[in-house]
Amino acid sequence: MVEVRLEGVSKRFGRVVAVDNVSIVFEDGRFTVLLGPSGSGKSTILYLVAGVYKPSSGRIFFGDRDVTNLPPKERNVGLVFQNYALYPHMTVYENIAFPLRLRGEDEAAIDRKVHEVARLLHIEELLDRRPGQLSGGQQQRVALARALVKEPDVLLLDEPLSNLDALLRLTIRGELKKLQQKLGITAIHVTHDQAEAMSMADKIVVIDRGRVQQEGPPLEVYERPRNLFVATFIGSPPANTLPATVEHRDGYPLIRVAGSLYRPGERHAAKIREAGLDRVVVAFRPEHARLAEHPPEGEDLAFEAEVYLVEPLGRENIVTLEAAGMPVKVVTPPEERPSGRLYVVVPRERVLLFEPETGLSLDHL
Amino acid sequence: MALRLRLRRGGPAGEAAGADVETLERRRLNLVLGLAVGLGLAPVLYLYLLLVLSSFSNTMLTSLPLPGSGVELTLRNWEMLFRGQVAPAAGKIYTTRDIVLIILNTLVVALGVTAVVVAASVMAGYAFSRLRFRWRRGLMEFIILLHAFPGVALIIAVYAVYVWSLGPVRELLGRDSLAAYSVFYTVLARASLEIPMSIWLMKGFFDRIPWEVEWSALIDGASRFTVWRRILLPQVKPGIAALAIFAFLAGWEDLIYVRVFLYPQVKTLATFIEESVAGLETAYLPVVAAAGTLYLIPTIVFFIATQRLLLEAMSGGVKG
Ligand SMILES: Nc1ncnc2c1ncn2[C@@H]1O[C@H](COP(=O)(O)OP(=O)(O)OP(=O)(O)O)[C@@H](O)[C@H]1O
Ligand SMILES: [Mg+2]
Repeated sequence: MVEVRLEGVSKRFGRVVAVDNVSIVFEDGRFTVLLGPSGSGKSTILYLVAGVYKPSSGRIFFGDRDVTNLPPKERNVGLVFQNYALYPHMTVYENIAFPLRLRGEDEAAIDRKVHEVARLLHIEELLDRRPGQLSGGQQQRVALARALVKEPDVLLLDEPLSNLDALLRLTIRGELKKLQQKLGITAIHVTHDQAEAMSMADKIVVIDRGRVQQEGPPLEVYERPRNLFVATFIGSPPANTLPATVEHRDGYPLIRVAGSLYRPGERHAAKIREAGLDRVVVAFRPEHARLAEHPPEGEDLAFEAEVYLVEPLGRENIVTLEAAGMPVKVVTPPEERPSGRLYVVVPRERVLLFEPETGLSLDHL
Repeated sequence: MALRLRLRRGGPAGEAAGADVETLERRRLNLVLGLAVGLGLAPVLYLYLLLVLSSFSNTMLTSLPLPGSGVELTLRNWEMLFRGQVAPAAGKIYTTRDIVLIILNTLVVALGVTAVVVAASVMAGYAFSRLRFRWRRGLMEFIILLHAFPGVALIIAVYAVYVWSLGPVRELLGRDSLAAYSVFYTVLARASLEIPMSIWLMKGFFDRIPWEVEWSALIDGASRFTVWRRILLPQVKPGIAALAIFAFLAGWEDLIYVRVFLYPQVKTLATFIEESVAGLETAYLPVVAAAGTLYLIPTIVFFIATQRLLLEAMSGGVKG
C-alpha cells in the first residue's frame, strides 16, 4: 500500500524527550514490530505516524508524500488503541460504521462493508451490542474492525493484545498476521512482549528511551544483538551477562570470566586490541549453554558454577547457577536435574562480547 | 441523599450476600447511620408533612390531624389557588392572582437559568478539560473562589450594574421592554451563581473520557467540532442532565434575586408565597400551603426521579 518513513523525528513533551532523533523505514506491506519497555516511546511513535502528535523536529513520509503537517484524517491510517477507545454510546455496528459515515458513503455501501469486516473478524453476532457488554477480546476485534473497515494504507496497532488472556492472545496473534498478509497492509505493531514480536514480525525495531537500539529480522535481532540492552531485553529468560577482564598473553588478548580463561576468536581479539579494551562484558543466551561434569576439550567458553535453583517448566528446565557471585541461567532438557558444582559450557560461536562503556557489541563496533 | 440511597440498596442486597462478613458489618453501619439521619431529619420532615396536609385541610395544621379534632380534608384550597382567589384582603374579598401566569413566570426564570448554565458550562467545561491555554490553572482556581462567594454578598454590585444598565436599555428598547429586560437580567444574574460549580462538574465529566476516544474519532476523519458533538457530548449526557436539574431548581426556588431584580408585577411562586405570607394576619394560610406544596413539587419529583444520576454526578463528576 504505502511505505512509511520517519526521518530524524523527535518528539518532546516539555522537558521529556519521548522520541529522540528516530529514523525508521516501515516497508510497504510488511509487518513491523516496535518493541521496547514501558515508557520507551513506542506509543508516541505510532501517534506521530497517525498524526495525533506533530513531531518537534524531523519529517514523516508516506511513500513520496510528506505528511509531517497533515492532520490525521488526511493520512488514511487505522489505529487500534491499547485501551481500544471504542465509542461507548454507540453499538458495535455504529462504531464500525462511524468512519464510513464521516466519509459520507451511502447506507447500502456502509451496511455491506460493516458486515464484510464483521464476518472477517467473527463479530457478526455482536453488532447490536454496546462496547460495555463485550469481553476484552471482543472489544479488541471491534476496534480492529473499525480500523480495517476504512481500508487504511497503514494499520497501527498499539499493544492490542495486552489485555487478553494468554490463550486468546496466541490465537489472535496468528489471525492478525494472516489478515495483514491477506490485505497486504503496511502494519506497525507496538508491543513490549518480545515473544509476540518474534512470532509476528517481518522486522523488529527495538526502542529504548526514545531511540532505536536495533532493527532487523527477528532472528538477527535475537542472535546478534547490537548492544547489551537488546541482549538483555529480548529472550526469556534474557541473555546472561558477566563482567570480565582482558589479560594479554604473548600479545593475544585472553578473557578472564568467572575465574576461567577464555580465548576469543581472531575477529574479536582484533577488535579488543584495536579498541584497547581491558574490560569486556561476556554474554550468552541461556538455551545456548549446556552443563557438564568436567571441563570440555577445545576452546569453548567454560566456567565453574554452583547450582542454585532448578525450575521445571515441563518442556524444559531453567537452572539458575552461581558463578563467582553472579547468577547465570541455563536452559536444560526436562529430564536433566543438575545439582552441585558443574561447568557451564558455551560454544564459541554463541559467545557475545560487548564493550562495557557503551554496551555496544564488538561485532558492531 | 447518599445515605438514603445506600440504605435502600443495602436492604435486599445485604440479605442476598448474608454470609459475607464485610457486608454484614456494612449493613449494621448503614442501619446506625440511617437511624441517626432519620432522627435528625424527623422534625423537618414533620413540618413538610404538615405543609402538604394543610393544603388539603380547612385550617392550617400545627399538629397531625387526629380524628375528632374537627379538621376536614378538602380540595377547596387547590381549587381556590387555581381560580386565583389566593390573596384575601381583609374580610372575604379576594385580590385575584393569575396563578397559571405565576407558574409560567417561574418556569421562564427556571428554564432560562437552565439554558444559560448548560450552554456556558458545557462549553467552558470542555475547554478546561481538553484545551491547554495560558492561565488555565489560575482561571480554574478563580472559578472555585467565585463559587465560594455567597450570592447575597454580590447582590449590591449586581444591583448597581442592573441600575446602570436600565438607562441605556430604556433608551434603546423603550420603556415597555423593561419588564422583559428584568426577566432577562434576573436569569443571567441567577445563572452566573450556578455556573462556576457547573463548569467544574462538566470538566470532571469530560475528564473521564479518555483522550484516545477523541483521537480515534479524529483518525476516523472527524473534525474537532464533530468529535465534540458526536463523541463527547453523548458521553457527558448524565452530567448535562444533572447540572440542568440543579440549575432548574435553583431558578425555580430562587427568592432573593427574583425579589430584587424582577419587576414587581412579574411574580414567581417564591415571591408570590412571600407576598401572601407577608399579610400573615389576613392570609388564608391553607391556600398558601397549597402554593407552597406546588412550589415544592419539582424538587421532590426531580430528586426522586434522578437520585441515582445526581449521586453519580456528585461523586464521579467533580475531580481535579
Ligand atoms: N502527552 C504527554 N505528555 C508528557 N509526557 C508524555 C506524553 N506522552 C508520553 N509522554 C512521555 O513520553 C515517554 C514515552 O511515552 P510512550 O507512551 O510513548 O511510551 P510507551 O513506549 O508507549 O510505553 P508503554 O509500553 O507503557 O505504553 C514517557 O516517558 C512518557 O512519560
Ligand atoms: Mg504505549
